[in-house]
Amino acid sequence: MRVRQMKRLLREPLLLATIIGIFVALGLFVIYPVLRVLLYPGLRDFLSFPANDRYVTATLHTFVIVILSTASATTVGFLFAYTFTRTTVPWKGLFRSIAILPLFSPPFMIAFSYILMFGRNGLVTYTLLGARYNIIGWHGLWLSQTIAFFPIAALVMEGVLQSIAPSLEYAARNLGASGWRLFRTVVFPLARPGVAGAALLVAIYVLADFGNPVMIAGHYTVLPTEAWARISGWGDVTGAAVLSSVLLIPAFGLFLAQRYWVGRRQYTTITGKVVLLSLPPTPWYVRWPLFAFCALVSFLILSVFVGLLAGAFSRGWGFDYTPTLKHWQDVLANGRALIHSVVFAAVAATVSSLLAILSSYLVSRKAFPGRGLLDFVAILPAALPGVVFGIGYSLAFNAPPLDLYGTATIIILSMIFWNVPMGYQTGIGRLKQIAPSLGEAASNLGAGSLKTFWDVELPLLKSSLVSAFVVSFIRAVTTLSVIVFLVTNRNVVATFTILNLANDGYRGAAAALTTALLILTCIVLAVSRLLFGRNVELFRI
Amino acid sequence: MSDAPVHIAIRHLTKRFGAVTAVRDVSLQIARGSFTTLLGPSGCGKTTILRTLAGFYEADAGDIFFDERRMNDVPSHHRHAAMVFQDYALFPHMTVFENVAYGLKVGGVRGDALRQRVGRVLADLGLAGLGDRMPGMISGGQQQRVALARALVMEPEILLLDEPLSNLDAKLRVTVRAELRQIQRRVGITTVYVTHDQEEALAISDRIAVMHQGEVVQYGTPWEIYYTPQRVFVADFVGTANLLRGRIHEVEAQRFTLELAGRKIRVESPGKGLRPGEEAVLNIRPEAIEIGSIPPADPGPNVLEGVIRTHTFVGQWVRYWVDVSLGPEAAPHEFVVDVPDPRERGILEGRVFLRLDPRKIHHLQGA
Ligand SMILES: Nc1ncnc2c1ncn2[C@@H]1O[C@H](COP(=O)(O)OP(=O)(O)O)[C@@H](O)[C@H]1O
Ligand SMILES: [Mg+2]
Repeated sequence: MRVRQMKRLLREPLLLATIIGIFVALGLFVIYPVLRVLLYPGLRDFLSFPANDRYVTATLHTFVIVILSTASATTVGFLFAYTFTRTTVPWKGLFRSIAILPLFSPPFMIAFSYILMFGRNGLVTYTLLGARYNIIGWHGLWLSQTIAFFPIAALVMEGVLQSIAPSLEYAARNLGASGWRLFRTVVFPLARPGVAGAALLVAIYVLADFGNPVMIAGHYTVLPTEAWARISGWGDVTGAAVLSSVLLIPAFGLFLAQRYWVGRRQYTTITGKVVLLSLPPTPWYVRWPLFAFCALVSFLILSVFVGLLAGAFSRGWGFDYTPTLKHWQDVLANGRALIHSVVFAAVAATVSSLLAILSSYLVSRKAFPGRGLLDFVAILPAALPGVVFGIGYSLAFNAPPLDLYGTATIIILSMIFWNVPMGYQTGIGRLKQIAPSLGEAASNLGAGSLKTFWDVELPLLKSSLVSAFVVSFIRAVTTLSVIVFLVTNRNVVATFTILNLANDGYRGAAAALTTALLILTCIVLAVSRLLFGRNVELFRI
Repeated sequence: MSDAPVHIAIRHLTKRFGAVTAVRDVSLQIARGSFTTLLGPSGCGKTTILRTLAGFYEADAGDIFFDERRMNDVPSHHRHAAMVFQDYALFPHMTVFENVAYGLKVGGVRGDALRQRVGRVLADLGLAGLGDRMPGMISGGQQQRVALARALVMEPEILLLDEPLSNLDAKLRVTVRAELRQIQRRVGITTVYVTHDQEEALAISDRIAVMHQGEVVQYGTPWEIYYTPQRVFVADFVGTANLLRGRIHEVEAQRFTLELAGRKIRVESPGKGLRPGEEAVLNIRPEAIEIGSIPPADPGPNVLEGVIRTHTFVGQWVRYWVDVSLGPEAAPHEFVVDVPDPRERGILEGRVFLRLDPRKIHHLQGA
């Protein structure tokens, strides 16, 4: 089998070279950095882990916050998804539009804005309510992560709930079930695999989250922030590598569970056709509590943006709210970082989406030795927390032959390979819908594999390519965890500058810079929408 | 036709998908310029053979030769065996012209030569004027022609067609298949055609390979397949069979008799290799049975009496299902009888007499 596949490949040297090239690239820029992280510390460093109080505390904190935030984000997500799909709650369309906003924002933005809104000098807590409330700590983190990650859960469960035909609900009502009983015996059991899948996905994000804890957790350290503290505070690379390695264990476990256990089952559940039967009216004692709940969450989301804008244009946060443009001078002063952010992300997203789509084509259409391995490695970065990726790059590419320390290249490379799974999964999904006979027809007419890809598959994958580009771009432009270990003065990007400004107390400047970054992101989104129409599929999760 | 040199040779081809053996030890020799059909029920392995010829599947065992050249390791895009897909596989993002031109462009044909060749094929297939349309904007029949044009424009030596007519409605199917045959004759291209429709296969082919569960059970001209099927499966799958299972009674040089529940059925053909006492299966086609409401003047051995159970009238002929009681214990045996041009005699009813023409009964090997 293998031998025959190789024999065939040898007759298509270009295809063979492409496959080898992809393997080398993924090996060098995904596998190798991870191995560097795992192998950098000695066995002794790992064995002394339990003796280090800070490590143990960070591990416990991580464990607690993953459970708390996953539970709350999944619950909120489920209630939202349920509201969108199965109720007649007023304004639910509006709530849905608001609910996806956090997906477009830098991960640290929510935490940062909540400090402005609900912190010690908070606009709501102090200025409006007169309370000196301290949001810094685990509870602030919990709130921020809930708001940051519930949209992921909501989108996954929306798909699952949509696939449960309303006719089932009608049938159950017909048999006399209603209200709570209907929910408990019909809707929830059918949605359960979706809930499990959503929870695992949220847990992966919470576990890897760096932006929110670094902003708002204060002394409540978690593994990613403790790793960062090791390097930034003590220059202790070994400690950071140990913490990252430990972080990898649950990350990898969650990833495997999500992909190979729930992912499979979910796939079969979601295939059902959406049947358009109008929904039975939701009773008032369900409708209004859900309405109030959605309104509260929407308020919490919108307050993020209010806080940010207010911060960007106020003279002195907490005491002097006169409008000013002085923070925008800081934005101009940091123009280089902003330009870096956008340029690096655009280059990375272009390469990343092309690479990802090409890989998805090879895996779904070509037979070659190592196909399963390529599939696995192309997905793998989705399992790797940003800090692991970042530390891996800083360890792997800081000495000849590949000394990329402080270069734009290292940032761009990290963004490319960290985002490959986004485009890859989109491509695989889309290729399932394209008849394989199209590619075969091209091959039959004399086109080699790569020409077939270029002439036939790629044009049909255009919408996937665009959405892969957009998602990769957003993730790249907003990432903090990956680049925080890689930036120097030379290749600094905006998110890093924002982190520093916020940490040093320049909150107005941080808010203004974040706003500027958001505006740039929106411009790219708008342009891609203009160029490629509405069918850009965003955030296929 | 049989004098033409072998163009495609399939030798001991086996193809498995996991535990399923889709094609089992198939050997076929296909003559240059011939129209050969792979016929069989769904799932018997026809598509698998065709796709192995095209190079989309690799043989697990056995070899494929085009003109003495072993093709097993030649990738599909170097095989020059143009294929028409069952779903047409037209590129949805290219116009009709671009679809047809695609293969030529890949081959480096440009400019006027390209336009001329594509234009000629489009005109030949009645597609002139549709060149600028997208495939989604033309009818199913036109799409089918575009798919054919896209293959023919390559002037390939071999044309592979996988149920190309199955998505057309019945009338169109008949017209298009006649056109297809005409074009094939004119161009003289070696064609391998896949269908599960026996009538289509009989109508269009020089040779038919009847397939059953991954094996070729008979390979011959349509005439041979219809009149001298070698297996019960073939007799039953191609046309309608009236099977008579009995024991050989007597064997003479030019005739033999079969004993069937005490009756003797006479067959006027050489009973080569048959021995009295052995079990045998005979077949007679529905149109080879005479039917009448009065006993024939000479009640020979092959006259049976029966009762019409039901009939169906389809215009050019009428088909009767007749129950014949062969003995007191035996369950009635059902015969299917076709009477062409029923206008004169009207529809028969009730008790009838059947006469099985002894020259038109055929002995089947391997029950
Ligand atoms: N790609 C495939 N993977 C697995 N099984 C297949 C595949 N293609 C065909 N088969 C199996 O091989 C057998 C023959 O299939 P096929 O050649 O398509 O039959 P036909 O064209 O005569 O209907 C069937 O049992 C089918 O299920
Ligand atoms: Mg088939």
